[in-house]
This record gives sequence, C-alpha cells and structure tokens, in this order.
Amino acid sequence: MKTSWMKRQQYLGYLFIGPNMLGVLLFFIVPAAYSFYLMFTDYKFMNPDTNFIGMANIRRMLQDEVFYTAIGNTLLFLLSVPLSIGLAFVVAVVLNRSVFLKKTLRALYFMPYITSGVAVAFVWMLLFHPNNGPINGILRSLGVANPPGWLSTMDTSMYAIDIIWIWFMLGYNMIIYLAALQEVSGELLEAAKIDGARTWQTVRTILWPLVSPTTFLLLITGLIMSIKQFGIIQAITQGGPGNSTTVLSLFIYQNAFRYYEMGYASAISWALFLIILLFTAAQWMGQKRWVHY
Amino acid sequence: MTRALVQKIVLTLLMLFFSIVMIVPFLWMISTSFKTPAEVFHYPIRWIPADFHWEHHLKIWTGPNSFVHYYLNSLKVALLGTAGAVLLSALAAYGFARIEFKGRNALFLIYLSMMMVPPQVLFVPKFIMFDWAGIYNTHWALILPGMFTIFGVFMMRQFFLSVPYEISEAAFLDGAGHFRIFSRIILPMAKPSLATLAIIDFSWHWNDYENALVFLIDQDLFTVPLGLQNFILENNVDYNGMMAAATAGIIPMILVFLIGQKYIIEGVASSAVKG
Repeated sequence: MKTSWMKRQQYLGYLFIGPNMLGVLLFFIVPAAYSFYLMFTDYKFMNPDTNFIGMANIRRMLQDEVFYTAIGNTLLFLLSVPLSIGLAFVVAVVLNRSVFLKKTLRALYFMPYITSGVAVAFVWMLLFHPNNGPINGILRSLGVANPPGWLSTMDTSMYAIDIIWIWFMLGYNMIIYLAALQEVSGELLEAAKIDGARTWQTVRTILWPLVSPTTFLLLITGLIMSIKQFGIIQAITQGGPGNSTTVLSLFIYQNAFRYYEMGYASAISWALFLIILLFTAAQWMGQKRWVHY
Repeated sequence: MTRALVQKIVLTLLMLFFSIVMIVPFLWMISTSFKTPAEVFHYPIRWIPADFHWEHHLKIWTGPNSFVHYYLNSLKVALLGTAGAVLLSALAAYGFARIEFKGRNALFLIYLSMMMVPPQVLFVPKFIMFDWAGIYNTHWALILPGMFTIFGVFMMRQFFLSVPYEISEAAFLDGAGHFRIFSRIILPMAKPSLATLAIIDFSWHWNDYENALVFLIDQDLFTVPLGLQNFILENNVDYNGMMAAATAGIIPMILVFLIGQKYIIEGVASSAVKG
C-alpha cells in the first residue's frame, strides 16, 4: 500500500533534502554549536587572544544590573501580547458575523502586520513626538494638560513601544481567530439564540471556550515571536532613554555589535534560548489541557 | 428596518471607524510627506495639505544616496533570497512528506529544534563565519542564509501531506520516478501554496532590518530599511523627508498586499491553525 511506494527510491530522499540540509547545517546548526562554545570564552571581535573562561560570562550576566533591567523591560514588552490577543478576539468576533464589508475591514486591520519594519517605526516616532506630535495634540484638545512624554521619558517609553506592538500584532491575531471562528458551527450559535442566550453570554460561554486552543497557540507563538524582536526598538530608541527600552534581545545585540563583547553576548543569547525552550515546553504540555471540547 | 439590520449597520460603522484608526499612521505619513515643514505638527491636523509639495519625494529619489539605489539592492536581495527559499523548501518538503528513508524522522526533529534557536544566538557566530568566508558586508550575507527557511519547509510539507497518496501510486505504476512526480504532478498542484510562501518570504526579506544591520556596513550596499535609517540619521529634523522616505519603504509592501491579499491571508491563517 502507501508505504510500499513511499519506500521506493529511498536514496532520493537524501537528494531532495540534501541542498536544504546543507544550508541548515551551515546557517543554523554549526553557528548554534559555535555560539555554544563562544559562551565559555572571552571572544572579542578583532582580538586575537581568546581564552576559555568557563562559567565567567554566566556569572557576569547574573551580576549584571542591566541584565535584570532588560528582563524587566522584556516582561513589560510581553504584556502587549495578551492585550493584542484580547483586542483581536473582539474584532474577530464582530467581523465574523455581524458586519457589512467584512473583507475590506479585514484587510484594513491586517495592513500594519504586512508593512512591518522600520519604516512604520519612524512614523510612530513622529506620531509620539512629545511636544508637537499629533497624538499629544489630540490629548491636549481633549483636555489633558500634561500628556505623557511617550518615547522620550523613561517611565513611559516601554508602554509606547507596547502600543506600537499591539497595533502591529492585532491584524495577525485577528486573522488566526477568524479562521478558528469559521470552524465554529453556525447551528451551535443558532441553538444558543433560541435558548435566549444574550450575545455577551454566547461569546463568553460558547465562543471563548471553543477558541481556547487558538488563544493558547497565539499566546505562546506571540510570546516567542515578541521576545526575539528587537528591530523596531533598535530603530526608534536604541534601548533608551537610559536603558528603559533595552529588552533582552536588544541587550544581546548591543553587547555583540556595539561593545563587541561577543563571548558575553553569546552567553546571554543562550539565556534567551532557555526562555523560548520554556515557552515551547509549555505549549506541548498545554495543548492537551486546553482543548475544552 | 429590523432591529438586527440597524445593529449590523451600527457595528459596521464602529468597526470602520476603528479600522481607520489602524491605518491612520499610514495616512498621516503620506499626508506629511506632501506638507511644508511648518505644517507637520499643525494642530488640528491638516489631512490634506494646503499645497502639495513634491520636493521631499524628489529629494529622496535623486542625489548620491537615492532610494533608487536602495530599492535595487532590496529587490536583488529579496528576489534571489525568495526564489532560493521557495525552491529549496519545496524540494526538502517533498522529501519529508512523500519519501520514506532512513533517518527521516530524526532529521525532521533536528529541523523542529532549530526553530527554537533565536536569531540572537546565531548572529555572532554567523558574523565571524561570514567574515572568515569573505561574504561579510556583501549581499550574499543576506541572500544565502535567506534561502533557508525552516518555516517554508514546514508550510510546504503540510501541503504535500494533504495531497492524496493514490496520485503518486498511480504515477509510480506508470513508471515515473520521484523527480518526475515532483516536477510534473505535485509542484503544479502546489502553486497556491508556493505563491503564499513566495509572498510571505518576499515580505520578510523586504522588511528585514536586523540582518542587514548586522551584516552590512557599506552605504552602497544598503537595503531600504538601512537606507531609511541612514536618511533619518543624516536629516533628523527633516520630518517631511523622513515621511517621504517611510512612504517609499512601505508602498511596495502595500502593493504586494493588495495584489496577493488572498494568498497572504490564507497562508497566514492556515500556517498557524495547523501548527
């Protein structure tokens, strides 16, 4: 049957995968192994004298104040993930059944996601301009006497980045929810209507539990995707003011390519890997529990 | 009018309002790129400038550091990277989905695990390796690694798994080998998936700022995101020019989106739901 022909010309399997495997070896596996080695050295770019220093980089990381600042900033940044997912759920539920122009609206909400990147980041930089920016202009006209400094002050900068990131991720999360909602049977919702369930009740007791696997998936993939992101932040604030927007991934980049502390940067990058490993493990374990139907 | 209809109209208007809030940054960007410096932060916002000033667009498209140059660099990197990625992903995905060979599952597990390794782990060793190999600060430092996308292999494998196996079986009975089946039967069937992967991959390459930042230093090699950053460093109070430059960076993606919307949305939706 199926297996008999699938096992024919087995050697061709290697030919089909070979070219790709070579690239994965060169650009993923070898660099990963190399980085693992660098973690235990004091490698600096252009410095010929590299020594094996054991756990010194890891000890240094655990004593580095900026590392903990970066962890804190990363947590603040990751706050945007559940917020964006929550908003996307609301948008998706409304778009799914009860509006005209569904496709146009879907495209408009999705647009930020496809145009991601630094160009958009620079637009937000001006929108958030503390003195004259349009956002604070609107806030002032609404009667806010001292609108926030957004990207320019230490205690608001991370939240300003969060707003940009929520805006950016919303369309992606919405698309995934729309796909999940389409699989919810209309009959179920009709039955709920006949029972006299209110819209809010239907959403809360039927839709939300039904899409919980999707919510969970979005949460984990969103966390992983966001924790790796540093481009937008590097483009707008370079981690400042102070270290107030230095997230972990940016901290690694700066150590490696601003200070050329490449051994140290490698050690921190493996801490980032550990966090991603934890998220992935949570995904594997959670997948079984979170399916509510 | 029934109550349901009224409700639907109200909701549509509400959602339309919020969708405009979503694209307001783009509208403001385009509007600002045509204004005078004095008008940029004028409040209330003048959405349609008093006079249209084209000189900011002219400024970024002409001269020694023009966006023509950055566009050509970005197109080269994105097109070559995407073409390689689509072809190599399709080949590998076929191997994983439709040929059984020794070590296949172990290999696939390695692919799976590589998805967890963040780019931050790989930047430093790649930097050292590329420097050693002589491709640091060349476009090859972006194109070559860009041809290998694990996501692409997963996506195509997912599609190939869904193609009925009877099709291959019949072709085998007719004496076709894997290469014939791949190129004549399976690949033509996969056109929509290939298009989706190509569009998504192109947008990654076009928007890729992080790799360009790490691997390029010469200004004449800059891709659009780096060109944009460079413009802003050199003209940090020319807000109109900045927005003209941002418009230049974003317009291609909006065009790609408008043309390939169906592929993009379906591709994004299916890739995540199937996990």
